[in-house]
Order: sequence, then C-alpha cells, then structure tokens
Amino acid sequence: MEIIGIQSYLIISLIMFSAGIFTTVSRQNIIGIFMGIELILNSAALNFAAFSRFSAINLEGQAFSIFIIVLAAAEAAIALALLLSIYRRHKEINAEHLNKLRF
Amino acid sequence: MGIEMKEVVFIVVALLTVVPCLIVAFSRNILYSAFSLFFTLLGTSGLYFFLDAEFLAIAQVVVYIGGVTVLLLFAILLTKNIQEIKETNALSMKRAYFAGASSFILLASLIFLAVKEWKFFEAGPGTDYPFLTLNQLGELMLNKYLLPFEAASILLLVVLIGSLVIAKRAVK
Repeated sequence: MEIIGIQSYLIISLIMFSAGIFTTVSRQNIIGIFMGIELILNSAALNFAAFSRFSAINLEGQAFSIFIIVLAAAEAAIALALLLSIYRRHKEINAEHLNKLRF
Repeated sequence: MGIEMKEVVFIVVALLTVVPCLIVAFSRNILYSAFSLFFTLLGTSGLYFFLDAEFLAIAQVVVYIGGVTVLLLFAILLTKNIQEIKETNALSMKRAYFAGASSFILLASLIFLAVKEWKFFEAGPGTDYPFLTLNQLGELMLNKYLLPFEAASILLLVVLIGSLVIAKRAVK
C-alpha cells in the first residue's frame, strides 16, 4: 500500500466526515453546528479531488470541488447573517430553545 | 524501501488535518473549535497540493481561511459575552449519545467495507495526469461547465444582497 494513495485520502475524509456528523447533531450552539457542516462539505470536496487525481482521466472532479467551495462560502455568509438576526431578537443562539418556526 | 521525505511531509499534513477535526467535535470552548477548524482547512489545502490541484489549494486558502474563518470569529465575538465564552459550546447530552452511536456505526461499517474490498480502490490503468492542471481547468470551466459557472455567479450576487438585507433588518 502506498502512503500517498487513494486509500489515505479516503480514510482522512472519512474521519473528517464522521467528526462533522457528530458535531452537527450534538452541538447546542448554532455556530458549532455550522462548523460541522463546513467539515462535511470540506470532506466531500477532498473526495472529489482525490478521485479525479487517482482515476487520472480528466479534471471534472476538481470542477465539482470548486463549485462545492463556492456553495460553502455562500452558505457561510447567509448562515451568519441569519445568526446575527436571531441573536438580536432572542439574545441567545441555543438550538435547544429555538424550536419554533414562528417568532 | 524506506520512507521518503515527501511521504513524511504527507503524514504530517494528514495529521494536521485529522487531529483538529476531533478538537472541533469535542472541545467545549467555541474559540478553540474555530481555531481548530482553521488548522483543518489549512491541512486540507496542503492535501490538495499533494493531489496536483494547485488552483484548489489556493482557492481553499483564500475562500475558507480568508473568508469563512474570519466570518466565524466575527460571529462568535458578536453573539457572545466574552466572560461566558468557556461554556458556550456545550454538547446536548440527549443528542450526543445518538450522534456518537450513529457516526461510530458509519465509521466502523465504512472501514470494514474498505478493508474487505481493498482491491476495489486500485488506481486506473492510465495514470498520466496533466502536469499543470490550471490551463485545462480553465478550459473546462469556460466550455463544458459554463452554465453552472454563470449560475454560481448569480448565486453569489443574490447572497451578497440577501445577507446585507438580513443583517440590516437586525440592526433596527
């Protein structure tokens, strides 16, 4: 088994994905949940680039990684703006207490 | 065949990526989580360099580290009193058991599958990857993926205006 191979990349992004799932489900703070989502998106982009490199056919995996990065940046901006709005209105960002769809 | 210098660097970068993930998942201080996320994203950029994806590595540094991490730190410091920052990232216990069980089952089953079907992951026959990927990536983005490219630019415009509107309403 080579050290710089597809297996290493798959294991790294698998650990990152599992940590992201755990963080997303178990946090109380909304910013913590958001960090988990970032980890999940990051591991998916890494997997796309790794399969593109080691199948060695063309570069389409890297194009998908670029779109994932763009969507993650857009999601970050919108999520943090919503977070500030929620904080001004409720004075807290605990996900346990924000369980109603109407204010 | 010993371990070469490049592989040592790869192992260091991989550890720099994986270990802060666990700190993000288990730390109680949210500032520690944010800085660990910074190191994870930096390590992912290094892993992109090992994949010969230079543009992705640079874009990762610019977008994630220059944008998302700074935005996260601003959001943390705007929404929390500085005194109570140490216990602001608590786990919800009734969800933590479920989350730990589900992610552990996912991890164990995928590792079992990977060990059992290891030959499934062998490299393809043609392993001549283009030496400098930037030119071909630009041609791919502007020919085949032109419509998603334009859609992404429209999305970014909408996000710019929308986040301004939401944050302005909050200031009132």
